[in-house]
Amino acid sequence: MKLPKLLQAVLVVVGVYIAFKLVFSVGLKQPLPSSLLTMYMFFVVVATLLVTTATEESAQEMAAPIKALVEDPGKKTIRNIVFVLVPLLAGWMTYSKLAPSFEAPVELRTIHPAPPATMKAFGKSYDLLKLENPLRKYQKEDPEKFRTYVKEGGAVYYKNCHYCHGDKLNGRGQYAPGFNPMPANFQDVGTIAQLQESFLFWRISTGGPGLPKEATPWLSAMPV
Amino acid sequence: MKIFLKIVFFCILVFSGFVGFANFGIPQVKSAPPPTEEKLDLGNMTMDQFIALGDKVFNGKGTCTLCHNNVGKRAPMLDGAGEEAVANRAPLRLKDPRYKGKATTPEEYLRESMKTPSAFVVAGFGSDNDTKSPMPVVTQGSIGLSDAEVDAVIAFLQNKSGVEVTVKIPVGAPPSEKAEEAKPAEPAKTPEEVIVKFGCGACHKIGKEEGAIGPDLTHVGKSKNESYLRRAVLDPNADIAKNCPGGAPCVPGMMPPDFGAKMTGSEFEMLVQYLVKSK
Amino acid sequence: MYESDIANAEEAVKSEAKATEAVKEGEKKAEYPPAPKLTAADYPQIGGFNSRILVWIVAQLHLWFAAFVLAVPIFVLIIEAIGMATKDQRYDNMAYEFIKVSMAAYSITAIMGGLLTFSLLIFYPDLFKYLTSLFSRSMLAYAFLFFAESASLYVYYYGWHWLEGGFKKWVHLTIGLVLNFVGTVLMLFANAWVTFSMSPNGVDPGTGAFLGSEWDVIHNFLWNPLNLHRVVANIAYGGSIIGAYAAYKFLGSASKEDRAHYDWMGYTSNIIAVGGLLPLPFAGYWLVKEIYAYSQQMGITLMGGVFAWLFIMQAVLIGALFLSVNYYLWCGMGRSEGSVRYTKNIKWIAAAVVACFLVWFTPHTLVLTNQELKALGGPYHKYLGPLGIMPAKNTAVNIMIIMTFLSFTLYRRVNKIATVSWADAGSAVQAAIFAGGIGNIIFLGVYHGYFTNTAYKVASSIPQVSSTAVVIIATLIIDSMMFKGAKEVAPLRWGNVPARSQYALFTLAVSFTWLMGLMGYIRSGIRQHWHVNSIMRDNSINAFTPTIGYAAQVVTLAAVIFMAIVIFIFWLSNISSKKSAAH
Repeated sequence: MKLPKLLQAVLVVVGVYIAFKLVFSVGLKQPLPSSLLTMYMFFVVVATLLVTTATEESAQEMAAPIKALVEDPGKKTIRNIVFVLVPLLAGWMTYSKLAPSFEAPVELRTIHPAPPATMKAFGKSYDLLKLENPLRKYQKEDPEKFRTYVKEGGAVYYKNCHYCHGDKLNGRGQYAPGFNPMPANFQDVGTIAQLQESFLFWRISTGGPGLPKEATPWLSAMPV
Repeated sequence: MKIFLKIVFFCILVFSGFVGFANFGIPQVKSAPPPTEEKLDLGNMTMDQFIALGDKVFNGKGTCTLCHNNVGKRAPMLDGAGEEAVANRAPLRLKDPRYKGKATTPEEYLRESMKTPSAFVVAGFGSDNDTKSPMPVVTQGSIGLSDAEVDAVIAFLQNKSGVEVTVKIPVGAPPSEKAEEAKPAEPAKTPEEVIVKFGCGACHKIGKEEGAIGPDLTHVGKSKNESYLRRAVLDPNADIAKNCPGGAPCVPGMMPPDFGAKMTGSEFEMLVQYLVKSK
Repeated sequence: MYESDIANAEEAVKSEAKATEAVKEGEKKAEYPPAPKLTAADYPQIGGFNSRILVWIVAQLHLWFAAFVLAVPIFVLIIEAIGMATKDQRYDNMAYEFIKVSMAAYSITAIMGGLLTFSLLIFYPDLFKYLTSLFSRSMLAYAFLFFAESASLYVYYYGWHWLEGGFKKWVHLTIGLVLNFVGTVLMLFANAWVTFSMSPNGVDPGTGAFLGSEWDVIHNFLWNPLNLHRVVANIAYGGSIIGAYAAYKFLGSASKEDRAHYDWMGYTSNIIAVGGLLPLPFAGYWLVKEIYAYSQQMGITLMGGVFAWLFIMQAVLIGALFLSVNYYLWCGMGRSEGSVRYTKNIKWIAAAVVACFLVWFTPHTLVLTNQELKALGGPYHKYLGPLGIMPAKNTAVNIMIIMTFLSFTLYRRVNKIATVSWADAGSAVQAAIFAGGIGNIIFLGVYHGYFTNTAYKVASSIPQVSSTAVVIIATLIIDSMMFKGAKEVAPLRWGNVPARSQYALFTLAVSFTWLMGLMGYIRSGIRQHWHVNSIMRDNSINAFTPTIGYAAQVVTLAAVIFMAIVIFIFWLSNISSKKSAAH
């Protein structure tokens, strides 16, 4: 037997919702954030509606049960039940949105804030717009020398950074679990790929206290 | 008409969807307010701005870097790193057996060294067995810093060397800009006033001043004629004297080249005639 | 200062006598003064108006109308040429109707430009003076060119029926070409004023004093990227607004012929809008890349800083655009009975578009409640985090474009059956091209996104775009050969579409309008508290950078005013046509 169109649509939406929950929360153990899931489901619902109303026949098939519910005298009982349930549902949703809770408000951090034009470090003023890594030129001119510099950089990292950022550069150093938010993960394929060295110089040399307000300096444990 | 209303309703619906999402669907990030510009509005200044002001005074109006630089070694370095930072040395100076000043804290020492430079002279930089400093008093003469500006310079020096900034931002201090602007309005009346006003004594020995950086000018009229002296004031690098105090050769570029622009005609004339007569 | 204000702002200068005076004043001074340093007292406060919002809205309105008015002649000329080549009178009639709609908008563009000039003179006099001193010659040229633009537009429109047939038509087409040329030059001038405020050139970087060469000031770093972006976006935007016009007329017309005519018109404008929409992400990509190259600070403010969330908003809007375009094509299949063969594919296309869209929409920084933060063990989502970056987004947008093109390909064959002997093989090859293209795009995205050195992360974008282009061009070529002399199974009945599809056209126009307003805000907003980036500071009380919600409200207010005027214009053209019908 062919299922009615409306039921099909509802089943698709519910199915997608359950699939998201199953795959992310149970399968991958990394649940979907509720804010994102809401938006995902919104677009799934919209797309389902678009598909089911794309042709005239299926649009009428969709609308038929709803029309019948409203107009058919034989469906009085169901109609009354629906007409009570829908406002109640809306009321409940509104209430649960507005009800005060003990949850701390969602905090938003800009992970890569815009750098200032100039910064001060080591008693000098740097123009971040023009600043370049003085050692970068050796990469081409003298690869041998460059490798030694990279090695020295590695040594500096293990002396100062790896306690938090981890020996695999993945932000899971031994102290990392004690912090919220977690230390930055340098293996993350995130926007760091597009950051220039002057930005990194700014971030590393001024640490947490050097962050602008939108990047919540009070949440950073990174020393100067 | 029905269609018209339907379309209007539909458009408004779509718009409200977008606005709703923009307002409630995504987090609102408030950007930091625009950084304020440095002005001598001391009442509203943050310490960072105060330090920045000190930086400006140190490198500009205060003319400190004229001598406290790496080029001529005329005076000890103040704003370098570590040992070179004066704020790091200040506590040691207070314990120095040669120290005879009244300061009890590093901050007071820094202020004292600007207002009474001879209270302590770093070994090797003064005259008369390091008891007289060649440095002019920064609150007087051509430099004429206000107390607030002196404090700003202290804050800058402390910040630069990494020690705690102990200076308080003065409240209700008179804006120094005014004092500065008032100066050019009244030209000096005597050659002595000209010398004080333009701080010649900071470097030269002339009249009552005891500068020990540039050539001694007390008897300059004996060996140099009027046109040479005119040129020497207007374009100091045209001729460089062979011997400066201490026997060292004089360094080109030490003397500010802009006196011609700063002096009034009568001041310049008075100064030249005074020098010609200094025999 | 906001939106395109400064910028399009002066676009407004037009023939205003005041501007000319200012120009003369500027020329008299032999030495160029530095950019003025302003205090809050230098910004006149008049009658409790919020000067920034006022200038913002007026500038935005001017920009919308100008974009529309500049774009319409471009495709009117093309449609007219098609009509001339095919000798199909329908094309000529449609082109004429397009230009008719833009005529009323033309005068409103000029009114808005004048309003903008006045509001800038009143509320930002010092800024206006500084800019006129820099752009003295180009503003004067702008004023004269505006006359040329008006003249050629009037001859082009009013001489439409006069210059008909044979050689006269060629003259008419030439006038159209002149009109487009002048319009484009006008826009290039105005763009120079905009981009100067973002990437100033030709002035002393310390003081902002003019260095003497106006060409240097015009030819600043971001000028060309913005020029390209605006031309492409204008075409897409013009198409979408004309589409809304056709939809409005379609819904209002009673006769079958009218419905058929406006349905066809809406369809054509939708194709134009999509044609402009498809290359737009890449023009935008170039612009942002150049912004990064010009100033990393600006780039990060744009992509990672305060404005990062605006791109989620943008993603939603572009998703809305793609969905409504696809929906319109799906609904359009109903024009022919032959569509039953293809409608079952719609759901799979929809699933693919939505899947791509969800990837495209996933932000890199997630909004997490504290519980979720704990559950995830940090602010990064292991599986969603990688979707937040460029390679994933490029992959998604390319597949979305290919899927939209697939909808279009299916739509084009609903009423036909290929009769050539190799039809089955041809379809198989096409299927293979689609599969291969999508496979290649996914491979490039995954490989470059997750298995290479960070320096090569964005390297995937160019080969991906080329794959998309290859799929589109190859399919079009095979299609044109395969359906030569194809058998028509069921006629395409224009006018036989549900009213729902017309609302898709409205969504397209409305979303486009709103999107343009929002992106204009971002473009202008990344200067933050500068009138002219790092040269002339904005010291007014409105120098702060507003939140997204605030900007969205202002943009909506402006968009509602715009749509109200546009619907008014549609209504005007309605009554004028009623009168001529009565005669």
